[in-house]
Amino acid sequence: MTPQAWKRVHNALLTLLTALVVVATLFPIAWMVLSSLQSTADLQLGQISLANPRWENYRQMWANVRFGVYLRNSLIISGITTLTACAFATLAGYALARFRFRGADLFSMAVLSTQMIPGIMFLLPIYFIFLWIRQTFGLPMVNTYWGMILIYTAFFTPMSIWIMRGFFAAIPHELEEAALIDGATLFGAFWRVILPLSAPGLIATGVYIFLNAWDELLFAWVMTSTAEVATIPIGIRLYIGQFQNRYDLLMAAATVTTIPVVVTFLLTQRWFISGMTAGSVKG
Amino acid sequence: MSTSVPSPHPAGRARPALPSAGAPAGRGPAGDARHRRAGSWRNNRLAYAMVAPAFLFMLMVHLVPMLQGIAMSFLQLNQFTLRRFLRAPFVGLANYRSVLFDPENPVRAGLAIAARNTAIFSAVVTLLVLATGLGVALLMNRNFRGRALVRTLMLLPWVVPSYVVGILWSFMWHRDTGIINRILVDWLHLLPEKPFWLMGPNTIWAIILPTVWRSWPYVFIVFLAALQTIPGELYEAAAIDGAGPWRRFRHITLPLLRPAIAIQLLFQIIQSVYAFNIVVMMFGNGSGYAGEWGDLLMIAIQRQSFQSWLFGYGAAASVLLMLAMMGVVALWYRIFRQELIIR
Repeated sequence: MTPQAWKRVHNALLTLLTALVVVATLFPIAWMVLSSLQSTADLQLGQISLANPRWENYRQMWANVRFGVYLRNSLIISGITTLTACAFATLAGYALARFRFRGADLFSMAVLSTQMIPGIMFLLPIYFIFLWIRQTFGLPMVNTYWGMILIYTAFFTPMSIWIMRGFFAAIPHELEEAALIDGATLFGAFWRVILPLSAPGLIATGVYIFLNAWDELLFAWVMTSTAEVATIPIGIRLYIGQFQNRYDLLMAAATVTTIPVVVTFLLTQRWFISGMTAGSVKG
Repeated sequence: MSTSVPSPHPAGRARPALPSAGAPAGRGPAGDARHRRAGSWRNNRLAYAMVAPAFLFMLMVHLVPMLQGIAMSFLQLNQFTLRRFLRAPFVGLANYRSVLFDPENPVRAGLAIAARNTAIFSAVVTLLVLATGLGVALLMNRNFRGRALVRTLMLLPWVVPSYVVGILWSFMWHRDTGIINRILVDWLHLLPEKPFWLMGPNTIWAIILPTVWRSWPYVFIVFLAALQTIPGELYEAAAIDGAGPWRRFRHITLPLLRPAIAIQLLFQIIQSVYAFNIVVMMFGNGSGYAGEWGDLLMIAIQRQSFQSWLFGYGAAASVLLMLAMMGVVALWYRIFRQELIIR
């Protein structure tokens, strides 16, 4: 074989391998969507076709559970959490990246250590703290949006601080110095010069928080027992109990749940991918 | 132990907009400005004000509850004493003794099985995720048409919510009608008959594979970004010196990827030891008992705490798990210390 022919074979093999990896990676997702459009009988017989998709499944699922309510709750809780956690992480990340202050290293260590505590450890204490707040201040916390938002904000802030800190550290100091020479205050330099530059990082951090909040299960189980504030995973869990073997409906629910995060990801992937790989993040 | 890696950015030059992937950002020359401004009280006040909101939230949701959680492990906390919470009877190290050494305690047997499963699960998941991520990153680290699209598509599993992953795979693992058995047995004839995946010894694979499927794309993206920061001249020079592909990989690629590998290794270990969502949604209609071959520590502790009301045991087991994790992190830090120099 000539070297050129060998090179062509080599490239063809690499392309084939790449295609195989892509197909294998995406197959389960395609299977989920495909199964959500079959009838139960066909699923059990294993006859899967796209000849007549049953959109009926989606209507039925939407009518059976109050899926709209769960979706709304998840959107509100995850959305507001994203905003608050992003704000906190931006401020703290900037302080860690630019200032040497007493306790900075300790705080950085604390930020990383939070990732090592098993969530189950503070589940019950937080529940009791919430009850105590209600008894003391008359403010209900369990089964409320703000209770969930408070927990999630605190949960996803540490990792977000870490990502934002990486972004700010990568921005040259000369920019702030120029702004300071032009008479800006320290905070003004941060607000007007650095923050606009870190927009890609902010988007990456925001998407990261949103995906994580959307995915949280353990605390949502304990802290939301009423349908009015329960998030999607709680709704889905009830749903599994009711329709154990109706995989057509379950796959429809799974698909609907996946759509918001996939759309969020696809819209922001340009910044997100570069952002996530800039600092290394828990994925 | 490790070769020290020259900083990718020569001193004195402005750093590129993105720091090298996987390494904590902010390497290279430290800004003189920061040190000039250091110590001035006004700047410190601004720094404290900026850190304060995050700090207060972390205090309230991480630190205080964690201390209470540790306190719970020394109390006899069950359905009768739960109402008194931190004023429940103090029993010292009794919970720890039961969890670790008491042969009469049924909870201990369950936790020992869960600990064994968690060890296997974490080791295999971490290994597979890093190996797949690195392998595919090397495969995709060349120019071909549609590379950006492929990269985006590959990340999709990582975006799918974990509880959806659990439901989806439990459907796919189904013995009679599931697609996995159909592919293995009916189409490829790799196995004589359809195995059970969701019960018996196969369960561990039934929880490992979905976890790997959801986790490796992210690691792949990080490694790919790290590979792209390696200058091509290095490989060319090595090739001129007669180094083959394996030696180039061994002496150029791997050392330069070490920081990224170190960070991903730690995150994967922490994540898989604390794995919960996927497994819980795969079994028992979301109640999460995977049987003795697939029960994981976090799930076992959650079951002891919230179904059997043994909160003291659960807290003791959580503290022990956290201590074990700290040991792992300390070991990791000793091995990879050189890679983690910040500033």
